Amino acid sequence: MEDSVSRMRSGSLVHCGSGLRNMAARIIARCVRSLNHRAVCLNSINTAATLTAAPLTHGRTFSQLTNGHKSPLAQISGSSFQVFQWRQYGDLPPLTLETIHDRVLYVLKLYDKITPEKLQATSHFMKDLGLDSLDQVEIIMAMEDEFGFEIPDADAEKLMTPQEIVQYIADKKDVYE
Amino acid sequence: MAAAYLTHHQKVLRLYKKSLRHIESWCIFRDKYRFYACLLRARFDENKHEKDMMKATMMLKAGEEEFWANQHPQPYLFPDSPGGTSYERYECYKAPEWCLDHWHPSEKAMYPDYFAKREQWKKLRVQSWDREVQQLQIETPADGPKSEALPPARKEGDLPPLWWQFVTRPRERPM
Repeated sequence: MEDSVSRMRSGSLVHCGSGLRNMAARIIARCVRSLNHRAVCLNSINTAATLTAAPLTHGRTFSQLTNGHKSPLAQISGSSFQVFQWRQYGDLPPLTLETIHDRVLYVLKLYDKITPEKLQATSHFMKDLGLDSLDQVEIIMAMEDEFGFEIPDADAEKLMTPQEIVQYIADKKDVYE
Repeated sequence: MAAAYLTHHQKVLRLYKKSLRHIESWCIFRDKYRFYACLLRARFDENKHEKDMMKATMMLKAGEEEFWANQHPQPYLFPDSPGGTSYERYECYKAPEWCLDHWHPSEKAMYPDYFAKREQWKKLRVQSWDREVQQLQIETPADGPKSEALPPARKEGDLPPLWWQFVTRPRERPM
């Protein structure tokens, strides 16, 4: 009984040993593949725009997976390969005057008390569009939500046309032509 | 705003804005917030045609007390607003522009166009400085300036006073 158990245990260990070696080989192959894929991804990000390149890189990496199991392993046995370091910080896309203008007008058109046909860049809220000061407060709050920064009350009560709002946001966010 | 005191109109608008922001902090779902915002707007609208200032001031005082009682303990603040997470975060990187004069010539040689233009700007500043000071001396009252707002340039071909400080102010997000 004990002999069989010990034999089983030793057998299982031997079996585990070869299994572990297989696993190790597979893991190393996968690491090499992922490293090469990262290098490929970084190369493509270097050259093309990031958004459009993402599906392309995926396609390329999967094709490499299907085609060349052996090629990354061949590379690792060959000369040393480079690992590219890359730092990518997250940030919003840079603002331009046109984008600010478009976003301001878009938010204003979504407001139900304004008719979109009458809306111009220079239309005054109180005189041309017939809005209230409470409406103007709501509009400024919508602009704050859209652009993500607070407009203090002292400045907010002076902004009466979309053009002034665009100018103010461009001043605050350092947007030049 | 020129005077030191807020008008009744301004106080009402500020109460409206901060109560809307606190309702937004309480009602996190947008449709619920919209509903309560419309209710608040209706409450403000039914009393907005009040002509009696005494009654209006009493209503404003009651509104402020109601706001204080119902405010959110941790209202949503924008990152750049005071109390927000990135308020004055980049102040330490905003160096004044006179530091550029202290660069080593080898560093300045890396940007020759910029520093050439900078010399012209500095000459312009030296020329216009006396006129700026003169304009400010004429325009400020005897007690001292009433507010921080600077007057615009009055004459043709003149630059507004203290324009150098404004033009060479650091960026909002330094590189």
